[in-house]
Amino acid sequence: MKWSQFFNTSIGKKLLVGATGLFLCSFVIVHLAGNFQLLYNDEGKAFNAYAAFMGHNSLIQFIAWGLKIVILLHAFIAIQLTFSNRAARPVKYAVSPGNQTSSWFSRQMAIMGSILFIFIIIHLANFWAKFHYGEMPLRTYPGQEEPLKDLYLVSQETFKTGWLVVLYVIGMIGLSFHLIHGFKSACQTFGLNHKKYNGLLSFIGIWLFGIAIPVGFAIIPVVIYFK
Amino acid sequence: MEHYNMNLTLKVWRQKNKNDQGRFETLQAKNISSEMSFLEMFDVVNEELINEGKDPIAFDHDCREGICGMCSMHINGRAHGPWDGTTTCQLHMRAFKDGDTITVEPWRAGAFPVVKDLTVDRSAFDRIIEAGGYISVNTGNAQDANCIPVDKAKADLAFAAAACIGCGACVAACKNSSAMLFVSAKVSQLALLPQGHPEKHSRALNMVAQMDKEGFGSCTNTGACEAECPKEISLTNIARLNREFIGAGFSSEK
Repeated sequence: MKWSQFFNTSIGKKLLVGATGLFLCSFVIVHLAGNFQLLYNDEGKAFNAYAAFMGHNSLIQFIAWGLKIVILLHAFIAIQLTFSNRAARPVKYAVSPGNQTSSWFSRQMAIMGSILFIFIIIHLANFWAKFHYGEMPLRTYPGQEEPLKDLYLVSQETFKTGWLVVLYVIGMIGLSFHLIHGFKSACQTFGLNHKKYNGLLSFIGIWLFGIAIPVGFAIIPVVIYFK
Repeated sequence: MEHYNMNLTLKVWRQKNKNDQGRFETLQAKNISSEMSFLEMFDVVNEELINEGKDPIAFDHDCREGICGMCSMHINGRAHGPWDGTTTCQLHMRAFKDGDTITVEPWRAGAFPVVKDLTVDRSAFDRIIEAGGYISVNTGNAQDANCIPVDKAKADLAFAAAACIGCGACVAACKNSSAMLFVSAKVSQLALLPQGHPEKHSRALNMVAQMDKEGFGSCTNTGACEAECPKEISLTNIARLNREFIGAGFSSEK
């Protein structure tokens, strides 16, 4: 089987969705670690220096563009699979089993993914586009010569707007519900299903990616809003 | 368990042939014994329909002891009805009570077209088996069974996978009409044994290619197939199929 045929089979496409999904899982860890600097009580010195580094380091910029392509690829193949999966049942059942035979989370991947995708577009417009292509306030910290783009201030101002905080939290609920099933599902697609590791994989999928990370992200705008 | 009789309302899918649109027909099933199997209840209903000069409900059945895999009925939203690990013939009427309304539909999947009423065409499964669900052996005397050592644990896993009766409940239960549990059971029962090794790569690749060609959906790991399988085939088989397919895809020279 040629590569072109291999990645056109249902399992081949799922491998691409799973691989891109796991890569995005690793990305959210790094992103969250960076975001926590928004909670430092240093008027954004650490966060702005971090943002300047992330925005200018050429290796990181290369990965950042790759990341956008990965998100599009993940969404594109997943949508393609969703449509072919729906087409596989032209006449629907009159009575469906609901949650009796499968978890609710496992059946909402496309919906949660779509919420997440809309969130990512708004999020990029709010911060990434502004940082790279928009007008940014500058700030020079004591002991530094070069002024830094004050992304810290932009985030503080953005999250003083209530509906943007709500939108952010909804996006993180989407992330949570997507990853509660997504992480373990990707592992299964790669053939990782073993008595000795299933408990650990479930724990990582549900508690780390499904709960801890989305809650970690969501706390930050909420704290900023009420500060 | 105490015996009782019941009257039921059935909403049954009626469809003349695969080109007919089909619709639900409401029927009364009277004086049904709690000790009947679900299929025996249908026999009673059909007797009455025949006596009235009407067309009886077409449904598949053969062994009536849970091993042939023919009795494909989607009952109240569940493949083979509300009980776990059973086929429709093993479902007894004591699962219902007097006055219940029961909705009975055929397996719904594009790859399983309705032949008539509750009967569907599952020959797509046969074509998947033809694509690689076998081992090639030379003619001549069968060799002594003990000359190929088989690990007992693996033999047990292969046996558990071989319990698949090809009923199609996995496809019926899956929101994507995916046949992955069926294909994974058929790949696993051979991949786990030394006799299946020589053809393991071509088997995984060809059976998955045929599965896609038949128009089954892809697996999103919801686990509904495992929950509905009358033979309780495990999802670990799907993981094994994925490993077999990845291994074959990355190493095959064709």
